[in-house]
Amino acid sequence: MKLRLFIIHLCIVLTMSLALFLHAEPEASVNFSKSIKPILADKCFACHGPDQQKAGLRLDDAQSAAKLLKSGDRAIVPHQPNVSSLISRIFSIDPDEIMPPVEKEQILTEEEKSLLKNWIAQGAEYEQHWAYVPPMRPKQPAVHLKNWPENSIDFHVLSKMESNGYEPSQEADPYVLLRRLYLDLIGLPPTIEQVEAYIQNPDPNRYEQVVDDLLQSPRYGERWARRWLDLARYADTNGYEKDRYRSIWPYREWVIRSLNEGMPFDEFSVKQLAGDMLPEATEADRIATGFHRNTMINEEGGIDVEEFRFEAVVDRVNTTGTTWMGLAMGCAQCHGHKFDPISQTEYWQLFAIFNNADEPELELQDPKIVRKRETISRKIQVLENALKEKFPSQPPNDAQTNITKYAKGQYYQERLNQWIDKSKSKAVNWQVLQPDSMHSKFHATLTQLPDHSVLASGDKPNRDIYTLTFNTNLDNIGGFRLEALAHPSLPQEGPGRAHFFQTGDFLLSEFKVETLQSDGSWKSHSIHAASDSHHKKGHEAERSIDGKLDTGWQIGSRTGEDHQAVFSLKNPIHREGKSTRLRITLDQSFIHQVTLGRFRLSATSQEAPKASGLPAKIESLLTKESNEWADEEFALLQSQFQKEAPELKEARQEIANLKKTLPKLPTSMVMTERSPEHARTTHRRHRGEFLQARESVIPGVPSLFHDWPKDKPVNRLTFAQWLFQPGNPLTSRVIMNRTWQAFFGKGIVSTLEDFGYQGAAPTHPEVLDWLAVEFEQSGWDMKHMHRLIVTSATYKQSSKLTEDLKNRDPENLFLARGPRFRVDAEMVRDIALHASGLLENKIGGPSVFPPQPASVTDLAYGGGGYRVSQGRDRYRRGLYTYWKRATPYASFMTFDAPNPERTCARRIRSNTPLQALTLLNDEVYMETANALAKKLLTQSELSDRQRIHRAWIKLTGRPPDEDTVEKIERYLQYEMIALQKKPEAAGSISGANKQDPSTIHLAAWTLVCRVLLNLDEVITKS
Amino acid sequence: MFNESHQNEAMRVLHQRTRRHFFKDCGMGIGSMALASLLRPSSAEADSQLQNPLAPKKPHFHPTAKRVIYLFMAGAPSQLDLFDYKPALKKLEGKPLPKSIVGEQRFAFIEPDAGVLGPQFSFSKYGQTGAELSEMLPHLGKMVDEISIIKSVHTNQFNHAPAQIFLNTGSPLSGRPAMGAWATYGLGSESSDLPGFVVLKSAGGISGGAANWSAGFLPSVHAGVPFRSKGDPILNVTSPEGIDRKTQERSIQLINELNQKTLNDWEDPEIQTRIDNYEMAYRMQSSAPELMDLSQESEATMNMYGAEPGKESFANNCLLARRLVERGVRFIHLYHEGWDHHSNVVGGLKSQCKQTDQACAALLRDLKQRGLLEDTLVVWGGEFGRTAMVESNATLGRKNGRDHHPAAFTMWMAGGGIRKGQTLGETDELGYHVIKDPVHVHDLQATILHCLGMDHLRLTFRFKGRDFRLTDIHGNVVKKLLA
Repeated sequence: MKLRLFIIHLCIVLTMSLALFLHAEPEASVNFSKSIKPILADKCFACHGPDQQKAGLRLDDAQSAAKLLKSGDRAIVPHQPNVSSLISRIFSIDPDEIMPPVEKEQILTEEEKSLLKNWIAQGAEYEQHWAYVPPMRPKQPAVHLKNWPENSIDFHVLSKMESNGYEPSQEADPYVLLRRLYLDLIGLPPTIEQVEAYIQNPDPNRYEQVVDDLLQSPRYGERWARRWLDLARYADTNGYEKDRYRSIWPYREWVIRSLNEGMPFDEFSVKQLAGDMLPEATEADRIATGFHRNTMINEEGGIDVEEFRFEAVVDRVNTTGTTWMGLAMGCAQCHGHKFDPISQTEYWQLFAIFNNADEPELELQDPKIVRKRETISRKIQVLENALKEKFPSQPPNDAQTNITKYAKGQYYQERLNQWIDKSKSKAVNWQVLQPDSMHSKFHATLTQLPDHSVLASGDKPNRDIYTLTFNTNLDNIGGFRLEALAHPSLPQEGPGRAHFFQTGDFLLSEFKVETLQSDGSWKSHSIHAASDSHHKKGHEAERSIDGKLDTGWQIGSRTGEDHQAVFSLKNPIHREGKSTRLRITLDQSFIHQVTLGRFRLSATSQEAPKASGLPAKIESLLTKESNEWADEEFALLQSQFQKEAPELKEARQEIANLKKTLPKLPTSMVMTERSPEHARTTHRRHRGEFLQARESVIPGVPSLFHDWPKDKPVNRLTFAQWLFQPGNPLTSRVIMNRTWQAFFGKGIVSTLEDFGYQGAAPTHPEVLDWLAVEFEQSGWDMKHMHRLIVTSATYKQSSKLTEDLKNRDPENLFLARGPRFRVDAEMVRDIALHASGLLENKIGGPSVFPPQPASVTDLAYGGGGYRVSQGRDRYRRGLYTYWKRATPYASFMTFDAPNPERTCARRIRSNTPLQALTLLNDEVYMETANALAKKLLTQSELSDRQRIHRAWIKLTGRPPDEDTVEKIERYLQYEMIALQKKPEAAGSISGANKQDPSTIHLAAWTLVCRVLLNLDEVITKS
Repeated sequence: MFNESHQNEAMRVLHQRTRRHFFKDCGMGIGSMALASLLRPSSAEADSQLQNPLAPKKPHFHPTAKRVIYLFMAGAPSQLDLFDYKPALKKLEGKPLPKSIVGEQRFAFIEPDAGVLGPQFSFSKYGQTGAELSEMLPHLGKMVDEISIIKSVHTNQFNHAPAQIFLNTGSPLSGRPAMGAWATYGLGSESSDLPGFVVLKSAGGISGGAANWSAGFLPSVHAGVPFRSKGDPILNVTSPEGIDRKTQERSIQLINELNQKTLNDWEDPEIQTRIDNYEMAYRMQSSAPELMDLSQESEATMNMYGAEPGKESFANNCLLARRLVERGVRFIHLYHEGWDHHSNVVGGLKSQCKQTDQACAALLRDLKQRGLLEDTLVVWGGEFGRTAMVESNATLGRKNGRDHHPAAFTMWMAGGGIRKGQTLGETDELGYHVIKDPVHVHDLQATILHCLGMDHLRLTFRFKGRDFRLTDIHGNVVKKLLA
């Protein structure tokens, strides 16, 4: 006790003397953003911020902080620290009083306390967080080194350097600078010819000319697409357990082409966020919406599909926040944002904007394929028209005996009549039922088509129950017919919705019929028999009336065709009054989304009807008298006869074979906004959890931001356009910051993904604002911005790390030297392929499978399925490599490619022994080393030293010095001798079968090239 | 220790300067001494600037475990047929459970009114503590006094991939760091020439895939490195055909000489790291095969585990786990797939237990006799449990199976500060709900970190403006589990 008292006394004395001491000092002006906000954000906002206001206190805006609290105190009284309770609480020595509370372990330092005190003494002025104030073009500062700046960027960079006692580095060596420029703009190093042409070019504008050329190069789009695809979380599989293949490469191609065309960034963005909603949206606009289809899809058996659709929408909101707003929106999913002024309701309002789309696959009308299909279809048409001609003129037996009993066409007519008679006897007189209500238990969108069939679209739950009601005036209903119908929108044209495992199939667990009774109750009618036109073995229509939910009617592999099941009632349904009110339930209680995609219901008053196997239209014609048939109706009957007649089996086979050759159209995953009548309602989720739906919210954007355009609907399209309206403080800055990072390795704001209160402060706010304003005013012209950056003196500096810079600014915060860092994963391989001459230049198309050890893909569920591409596809650029989420391409992961499970704004850059093992031993690099060696050796006129020289320039972009050449030559000669003793090793290394000096030569050169491919300089942008 | 400045420091080191890796600062293999002395530059100055993100770090408090072997039984074993004996289920066989018990639980495949399936094996008491185990686990029975059986684990997830990722990362969605990544982030690695976090698998592929051993938003050096028990243990650790050790040495020597020239020109410390990494890669090329070479093990040891050289098996992986532990690897994650018994739970368990029971017990015994069990935490379990109700489905051809059950399942832990010979937690008469000492997945994570000497509340990483942790915003250390 005594000790404690003593300590308290001591503290009081110390505090008082400190206060006195502080008081005596002239107070330096305290800057809110720089000094106060970080303290408040870090140590106070969690309890007294935008989300929580303990004791009613909110410290993130001036008004709230100064208001009278319930306790009677005011936390902040400007100019009066002595009556501000904030000050008394933070200086308190009473453990029950002190703030932050002891248990938070957030102790304020003495310096922080006195800063807060001085700030209040000086008037407690708040400033809006810099990132929430729209950027203005800063004035050009005066600088001493007037000759240095090339453009406005440089003035601001230089001004900061000068005021901190730095001076710029020299311009980089032209060889180094050229390679830097190539790697930055197109992601590939210059060829020997390009290096030589540049060095020999006397034009003072040679650098600018190369810049222009590179910005026009088709390789430019590939280079910059890869960075964008990191944000888009692009991958070729669905993720989670099944991780099946998906087709979304047309989206990747769209990104590449749009960047190459120089599409303005606002248009580029609007199309990706809401291309489907643009007036007269083109196919390309819809492909662009693939951006937000890159979310993962869980296809594990037994999941709640809606739960993972929900998770995908969460991901879309968060990715949008990161990509265009630099905001960690995810923080507000579970509770109000702790630091930035975004409430939980506002999060769910933004969620609502993204929660109103369906997620179909779009068939792309590739003109080449469309033409091919048309040609084949015409052939099929011709063959079908000619079927009648192919009908035998007489029965086969008669043909053998050569007796001609039949006049021309007479035998056909006879068989046709027989068929009509037989079919007539099977035909049932069906009346199509028109549903007046359709309901899907798990929110599939059911739409009635003009023929009264019902099409399911939108949500695709694992299992579903469709309930339909009808009025019919039919009396004595003896049974019902369910037609399962093909439709082009369905997987393999249906009739089912399943898109994997049992693609195009459905499973009807139970079929139930009820009628409305006068007392308002529904009476169930028992079905005593079921028949079908076709079924998968063991899945007859009878299984839909066996009372078991785990059995049912399925059609198996015969997808893309119409099928029917007929359910015959035990006792007919009698009409009482004018009409009967029917309710039919289609229970589809199975997993894997095997639900009906298109179907139609009919009823008959015939007793004990059976499935005829005839198409509905034919069946209906056959119930009419023959003399009632119109010509085209008779033609229809004939064509059906031709489809069934055994005499034409062979001829039909020819048609079937031809149909199989119809090439498939490629597809891409897209978004489609739901129609207003099917608009989804969004609920706030308590703690962000799927199962905790609370009140519904209307779509909207956080009030923190610039105004919503007047008279525009609140939807995805307006949201996308709103991002690019004047007054948005974030988007242009966020994009320019990422662009800067691509060139300099570090953003002006180092937290690329977070511009909020918790993000890092910009090192060069003027540069960032200048770039942001220039970007907007240039019409969001990305190539213009790239040109400005690479032609700046800042960019062109040498990246050599002098002793002085190493000590004073190891992180290059003052930009007094150029960037130097290892290139991205894909570029490591692209450089090797390019220099060795293997690189295949084709742009776009589906992903390819370059070699990698089979054991990589064995790790995941369902194992590999990674079939290494043959031919030129082995040598495509890295961004075309097949990206399997569960087991991504291993060597790219080793070089820090991001896992595309989440959006990635900045890649981590590591330097590991696994990278060394990859470059040393991976098949890809052995193959490239070998190819480069072969290439060098084909020029027989060259000496070894000349070859070394060439190889070096190919890989590093600059000529080697004498010592380097000597070292390499010594190695070459040594290996040559060593290999002579090991002809087998030479064979393996060179890949040549012969055992002769040329093999030894090739093997030794392969070893040399392998060494070169491993060099730091080769995989580094200097 | 893990406050913002610590992270900033780490990130600064990672982003701007250099990335020493697993293998910096380690002892050299004898074979590479010459190479190393030839190549190691006089750059003590550069060295002082460099920092290894995997260098051993002090824990928050005194740890009881230095390392973890996690035996992940992927697919989810049936606790009702292995550990949690419920004779009452036999009486209810074929009848549905009362609605009051089932509540609103979501199931993957069965309907809530599916009939009950009684215990499929006989149970008896083992060890001095008399813990009850199924006849399927005779080997574990002999070691039962060493372990804590937890019958009261529960999770939020009922599908494989999300549940596995939840258990390993604290979130059902991929993208967060795995437990092993948190461990090396917090403690660094003590291995001189192997990664700090190693992943091994046997039987089928793993539902959650690479997300289970991802570094998430942590620096990628913390990601689990999959080792293969067949072929190259580490990808590309074998030189291409025709390139022998001498050739490889000469090649690396030239690479590093040329890189040294670049270093002299540019003074970029990254280049020094790369030089060191090539030396390390060279050392790994001999240490990795040495690790995998089971011929050094005695016949008795091989028999104890049931291991066979060159096979991809759980037994081999258990033995490898011990060898990895001996080499200072921090976190070893063994995955054994095949426990997803939607049908024929009897046949499935017989086969799975045959593949795993002996090796699990052997691992415990082997660690114990080598004095390693004391500070090695061993954890056994799946991603959720299985239902008391039967799963049968004519269309899927399933019968006598069990569906996914997140509300209660059994795991066991041993060594590294875990109380010996206890059974913790209880479920109700039907094995459906936990009624005593519930242990949520987040509690389990908190406890594992606690054994490693880390406070799960303080082991954080700031990403997108938020301090993330393994236990999200939940988790309590299960004190009753601790010795």
